This record gives sequence, structure tokens and C-alpha cells, in this order.
Amino acid sequence: MSEQSKKMIYLQPTPVRIWHWLNALGIVTLCVTGAQIRFPEYVNIFGTYKSAIALHNTAGIVVAISFVLWITYYLVFAGTLKQLYVPTKGDIQSGLLRQAIFYFFNYFRGKPNPHHTAPDNKFNPMQKAAYLVIMFVLVPLVIVTGFMLLNIEPLRNTLLMVGGLKMVAGLHFILACCLCAFIFTHFYLATLGHTPFAHFVPMWTGWEEAEEELEEQKQPH
Amino acid sequence: MRQLNKPMYLFLSLVLALFLGASAATAMESADCLACHSDADMVGDAFAINEGQFDTTAHAEMGCSGCHESVTDAHPDDGLTPSKASCKDCHDDINKEYTLSVHGSSAACSDCHNPHQVKSATEVAGFDMNRQCATCHDTVEMTKLHDQWLPQAGLHIEALPCVTCHTGSENYVITMYLLQRDAKNRYSGFVPASREDLAKLAGEQPIQALIDSDGNGEISLSELRAFNGNPQFKELRLWGMMTPEKVTHTFQILDNRWDCTFCHASGPEAMQTSYVAFPEQDGSYARLAVEKGAVLDVLNGTPDFYMMGATRSKWLNIAGLLIILGGLVMPVGHGTLRFLTRKNREGKGH
Repeated sequence: MSEQSKKMIYLQPTPVRIWHWLNALGIVTLCVTGAQIRFPEYVNIFGTYKSAIALHNTAGIVVAISFVLWITYYLVFAGTLKQLYVPTKGDIQSGLLRQAIFYFFNYFRGKPNPHHTAPDNKFNPMQKAAYLVIMFVLVPLVIVTGFMLLNIEPLRNTLLMVGGLKMVAGLHFILACCLCAFIFTHFYLATLGHTPFAHFVPMWTGWEEAEEELEEQKQPH
Repeated sequence: MRQLNKPMYLFLSLVLALFLGASAATAMESADCLACHSDADMVGDAFAINEGQFDTTAHAEMGCSGCHESVTDAHPDDGLTPSKASCKDCHDDINKEYTLSVHGSSAACSDCHNPHQVKSATEVAGFDMNRQCATCHDTVEMTKLHDQWLPQAGLHIEALPCVTCHTGSENYVITMYLLQRDAKNRYSGFVPASREDLAKLAGEQPIQALIDSDGNGEISLSELRAFNGNPQFKELRLWGMMTPEKVTHTFQILDNRWDCTFCHASGPEAMQTSYVAFPEQDGSYARLAVEKGAVLDVLNGTPDFYMMGATRSKWLNIAGLLIILGGLVMPVGHGTLRFLTRKNREGKGH
């Protein structure tokens, strides 16, 4: 390991970092206010029920707008959405398994991470698969169901078409629990870098300290 | 047994004849009155009485002369206007609490209640109560007013009779009403289903059989699910309202109604009692009790009745908890193994 050299790479552009922390704050706020809204007899963090609802609605709208900006940024301006988030054929055939073996077996044996972070390849195959489901299924669905619950009267017929208010509210709750579970996992996995804070720093500064083996550098390009 | 003597026999016969005669006269009197007063063409709209609705009221049992005491057999040829009883003659307690309320100086009893159509509180549909209030308190104006502080004000006004919040009424239950929309225009709004339309759907069976399929006078959760899942009834839906069982006339703005938790933190325990109210021919509603806790069913029991904080399902809560615990598997499980195997990674930079 002494043969390794440290190299800084610009991994997280400013819009992505702003989006990430806005989302983080938004989703945590939504989880906590959501808990008060669902269990008002037991949870009272924000004083009145009404303030919990107002905060939940505001945070929901902020996260929804932030999601639209995020998808617009990646699709229109960066143009790297597919490259970063959609697993390749190789990822599905072997990458997922290799990454899983690393996380659940080789990591404990002290073996290196098979994935090397780069600006055009930020996520390992497991991250790609997870983020694909989260960002393209869970988050849009939780936003859509939340939007419907915010506009019950004008969307009455739409609500009935999808199985009724209870179906939408139940789905919103279950999706929210999934996102809450994701936050725990996400936070923990972020500590699995070469130092516990290695993945937190680039999300704040944009720069990640990358490890590159000298042998790789010596190879002719 | 002692034989009755002749004077005594005559006296008893006279008493019996007077009693029967008086009863017949009272019965005849109401029938006589309604012979004309049930016909608006004959007496004019202001004096016309809907006989079908009047017959089912508690007032009908007293007969017309019970309130219009001075009416004579010569009416209307005698040219006299029959007297009218004052409501407080019988309803003194209600009158006292009403006159003390903020509404007392604004409207008389008859401004809200038609004595010839009165029904008990549980026989009146929640939306009909609100329709009555809306004769003075315009719904659009009221929605705007409530919008200033109440989230989703329109929805609240649709789901609550005004008296639920604006009187000291007690014992709230969930009462569900059948609404329908035009089958040819699925984007039309839902309106209360009429008894005639429901009777057409029910065919030869009573309209209650649309939901109470076993006819036992009680609606089970499985009957509710079957009704909601039946494609034949796709233009019908059950609209739940939170209605008081005991209605008072203490009109006021209660401080605790500004606090959402008064209803929303009432918990699933407050959602145990519910009814489905079916329209009767006279415009009233007759309720059938629903299985305890049915409105808490996850999906198809009452798919369109959801009250934040109160109608949460136990099973969904458990599913949600398991999902969140699933999110802790990595931090706890992986984290423990990570700690135990930390020596394997020492000096390796990860």
C-alpha cells in the first residue's frame, strides 16, 4: 500500500452537492414530520400538528422541485444520467456479484474494493442498481402520491382510478419507510471508504482523494 | 262478580263513546287538514306540507291540533288564522341552550328546522345538515374563510357537518353515505345517491342489500370489501363523514377545534364505530351498523375514507417498521462484522 500515491479528483460538481444536501435535509424533515403526522399521540416534535403538516408539505415541495432540477441537470446539462445510473451489461453479468462479494465477504478479509471511483463512473454496480430503483421508482412515486394527497379535491377522480385515497396514503407511507431505511443504509455505506469520512468530504467539497496504484499509472495509455 | 247497575253502565258507555269519539276526531282532524294542506295548488307553497315527510316526524303523532290548537272545524271558512305553538313550549331545554349560544340571536328555530319535516340528528345526512347551514353561510365563502387557517379546508367542510366543530356535540362516529356519479360521464362529480337509483340497482331486494348482502342488519368488513370490489357498483362510492351522535344547540367556536389533534390524534380507538346510512323515501337516512374498526382496514374496506393520524392501519405500521428495521441491517449487522474484522484492514487504507 506504500506504493500508492494520492490523487485528488473532482467527483461531485456544485449543483449535485447542493441538490444532495437539500435532499438530505428535506428527506430527514419529511421522515420526522411524517412520523408526527401518522402518530400524533406519540410524536410531537414540531409543537402543533398543523406546523408538522406545513413543514411536511413545504419539505415535500422542495424535494419534488429539487428532484426535477436534478433530473433536468443530468439529462439536459450533464448528459451523464444513463452513464452514471444505468447498470451496464457487464455490471449485471458480473459486476453486481463482484461488488456484493466485496461488501459481504472480501471487505472483512481486508481485500480492496473492486470499484474505482471516477467522475464518469461514480457508482459501483450495486450503487447503480440501488440508485436506479430509488431515484427512478421510489422517489418519483413518493412525490406523485404526496402530490395527490396534497390535492385530494381536484384529483378526486384520479385517486379513485388508482384505488382510492387509502391506497395512495398507504403507498406513500410504505415508500417513505423505504426511503427512511435507505437513509440508514446510505449513511452507513458512506463510511466504508478508505477512511470513514472519505466519501463524506467530496459531497461537501467536491474533491475526492482517489487511490491509484502505481502499476496502473505506469501502463501505457 | 257484581252486576253493574243501570246508571253505572250508562256512565261507562258514555265515557267510552267520548274517548273513542275524541280519538276519531283527532285522527280525522289531521287527515282533514292534510286533505288540503298536502296540495300546494290548493293552499299555496307556503302552507303546503309534504305528507310523506310529515307522517314520519315525532310531531305527526301529536296531530295538527297539537300545535295549532285554535283550529276549528270551520277552518278556513271561519276566517281565523289558527294559532301556532312555540317550540319552547315543548323544547324548553333546547331553547335555553340555543338562546345562550352565539347563534341564538341570529336565527329562530324555524329558520333551520321545518316542524313538518323534523328528524332526529342521526336520521339527517351530514351533507344535508351542511346544506341547511349553507342557506345563510355560503359554502364558497365559508371555505375561503376556513382556508385562512385550516389545511385542505374544502375537504374538511365536505367531510364534517358544521355542527361537529361549531357546537358542543359529543360522541363522534363515522357515518358513510352512498354517492354516485353519472355512468356516462365518469368525470362528473359524485352526488348523494337517490333511493330510486339505489332501488334500481338492488332490484327486488331492499337497498341495504347492496352492501348488507346477508341481510342480517349489520355490515361486516367482508361485505364492505365485496361492495367496493364489485365492478357493478363502480359508479358508487362510500363517503365517510364524522358525525356527532348527540347534537347540542350550543353554537360556539370551541377553542380545542383550532387544534388539529382534537380529531387527528384521536387514534384508531376513536375510529371503531361506523355506520352506513341509506336514504329513506321521506328524505331521512336509516343507518346500519358496520363491524367495529372496519374503517381501519388497509385497502378495500373503506378505500376512500382516510383520516390522517387516526385511520392508520396496524398492519401497514408493522410493514413500515420492518422496512425501516431492514435499513438497519447494514449498519448493525455489517457494522458488527466490520468491527470484529477491523484487524484485517489495518494499514490497508480501508
